[in-house]
Amino acid sequence: MTLLKFANSLKLRTKFGIPISVLLVASIVVITSYLIDRQADGYRRELETSGETMIAILANNAESGVIFESTYELDEILQLLSQFEVVEYACITNKEDIILSEIGQALQGYEQTKPLYHDASDDEGHHNFFIRNEYGQEFIELSNPIVTRIQNLGRENLGITGGLDNSFKQSYVTEEIGRIKLVLNLETVNQSIAESRRTAILIAVVVLLITIIMLTFFVRFITKPVKMLVDITDQVSRGDLTQKVELDQNDEIGHLARTFNRMIESLKHSRDEIEEYNRNLEQKIVERTLELEEIQAQLVQSEKLSAIGQLAAGVAHELNNPLGGILGYAQFALEKLNKSQTAEETARDKGKYIRYLTDIEVQARRCKTIVQNLLRFSRSSKTTDFSDVDINQVIGDTITFVEHQLHMNQIQLKMELHKNLPTIQGDTGQLQQVLTNLILNAMHASPPDTEIQVISRFSPALGEFGGTVEILIIDQGSGISQENVKKIFEPFFTTKQVGKGTGLGLSVSYGIVKDHGGEIKVESKPGEGSTFIVILPVQKPQPASDNVSNELQTKN
Amino acid sequence: MVKVLVIDNSEVIRNLLTEYLTDLGYVVENAINGLDGIEKALSGDYDVVICDIHMPKRNGYQVFSEVSGQKPNLPFIMTDSLPDTLAERAVNEGAYACLSKPFNLDQVKKTIDQLLAKARTK
Repeated sequence: MTLLKFANSLKLRTKFGIPISVLLVASIVVITSYLIDRQADGYRRELETSGETMIAILANNAESGVIFESTYELDEILQLLSQFEVVEYACITNKEDIILSEIGQALQGYEQTKPLYHDASDDEGHHNFFIRNEYGQEFIELSNPIVTRIQNLGRENLGITGGLDNSFKQSYVTEEIGRIKLVLNLETVNQSIAESRRTAILIAVVVLLITIIMLTFFVRFITKPVKMLVDITDQVSRGDLTQKVELDQNDEIGHLARTFNRMIESLKHSRDEIEEYNRNLEQKIVERTLELEEIQAQLVQSEKLSAIGQLAAGVAHELNNPLGGILGYAQFALEKLNKSQTAEETARDKGKYIRYLTDIEVQARRCKTIVQNLLRFSRSSKTTDFSDVDINQVIGDTITFVEHQLHMNQIQLKMELHKNLPTIQGDTGQLQQVLTNLILNAMHASPPDTEIQVISRFSPALGEFGGTVEILIIDQGSGISQENVKKIFEPFFTTKQVGKGTGLGLSVSYGIVKDHGGEIKVESKPGEGSTFIVILPVQKPQPASDNVSNELQTKN
Repeated sequence: MVKVLVIDNSEVIRNLLTEYLTDLGYVVENAINGLDGIEKALSGDYDVVICDIHMPKRNGYQVFSEVSGQKPNLPFIMTDSLPDTLAERAVNEGAYACLSKPFNLDQVKKTIDQLLAKARTK
């Protein structure tokens, strides 16, 4: 498994090179050693054959010398051999194995041996052996019988059958009278063989080198375009589709390159198409987003108008009281002035007139504030233009509008405003809308003679953030069921009767608070009341102005 | 001496009516909300009550019905910012009149005069 992994991790060049080289070396080694063996064999065979011929001639010539045991004659015969380097030793023995003549040194202490090519024990008593002595020298030992022919004196040869037989043959018996032994040194032959082996190895090495060099070039020739393909593929896979494989070949690799180029081309085409689609899609998303924003703004606005509708009574009531004061004091003053004739009376009443006029001014300002407040609330803020907002101010303005309705429903309002509240970044009208919505919802859920608490508080910064301003609206109303708590921020979800609510108030409020980077949390127990918490982040922590809060605190 | 009780949660209106009616020669007392109004109307000896509808702690209608239950002859003039069903209801159930805010002081005087004249003829 790991071997396979290793093999797979090798480069193409190595993958090609190693097996081919191994195969090449193996085949050269096998072929060369086979040829050398064959040649060595041939040399030895030749020597053996020559030896056999030689020993056969010698055996023939030695017949009379052995018969007469003429050492002289035999020495002369053997002397002929001494001129051959190859002859290590030769001897002639008689029937009783007594050496009659010898040349050279007899081999001693060698270990036998194996028969040679010709069977060592043929009928005529030839023995051929291969010998290696203790020094590793190799020899061939040939041994031949020396025979003489003796006339057969058997019965048939004595004429018993001879007279009748035309084909009478003279009959002989061959008798061994001695042996001749010849030991040939294989040194020369072995030297020739070694020479051949060296030459063969040299040739093999040269051939191997040439082949490896050629193979390297050949492999490089194949792998170079492959490497080029690999490089280009690499770049293409990294997204660079401008690349092209420049290969002018007509083989498979050239074909692969052309196919690859076509593939890059179509890939580029597809990518361009996708990019085009994406651009279109982005365009569409931008358009749709704008449309949605438009609709959202309209929704916020219509929800706001709906709230204003609900607040109309309160606003009218709020306006009518100061207007009543203005009207009344103006009439009163006029009446008095018309009645009073004398300058003394006028002078006496001067203080009253001043008070009336002051009251008129105060009440007119109050009207102005209410109208501005209403305008601020109703202003359509399509482009959210955030500015510094004092949440206590927003709460105060909102209460102005809803106070009347709370009174009408006999619901007490209790406010606890944090005196050093930092300003937040936001839109006054939108935040007022959120509060109006939440307070009216609380009111709708509350039975008479209960209390709604509006609390503002500040949670100090954690880390770099400026902390949060929180507005709590706590009612003692019917509460919200666990099931409905999850749904109250969904558009068009309402528990009110048909025509009493759009079901958009809370979802719009939620959207507004989200736009301010904040959130609305709800805690509610059915039957005990609900608490809505608006959490708004303070972007820039800064000291709050005390006087605003104090002014609001004194209200109601 | 004619005694008038003004029940209104708006300080401006209370002050204005007090000043105006005092100037006309009436004795004027104030109540700042519905509950206060009921208490004073029941305990005091008034000739007429001017009562606002929109108030905390009992609205004008509740003040009227509770007081008129015990003092059916005490005349009520209701005041209201809006054409309101509660004010109409009070008038239907025996309140003398309804003035809609912002009202003319003449109107207030005229209504009280009419009411007193009617009471005298009875």
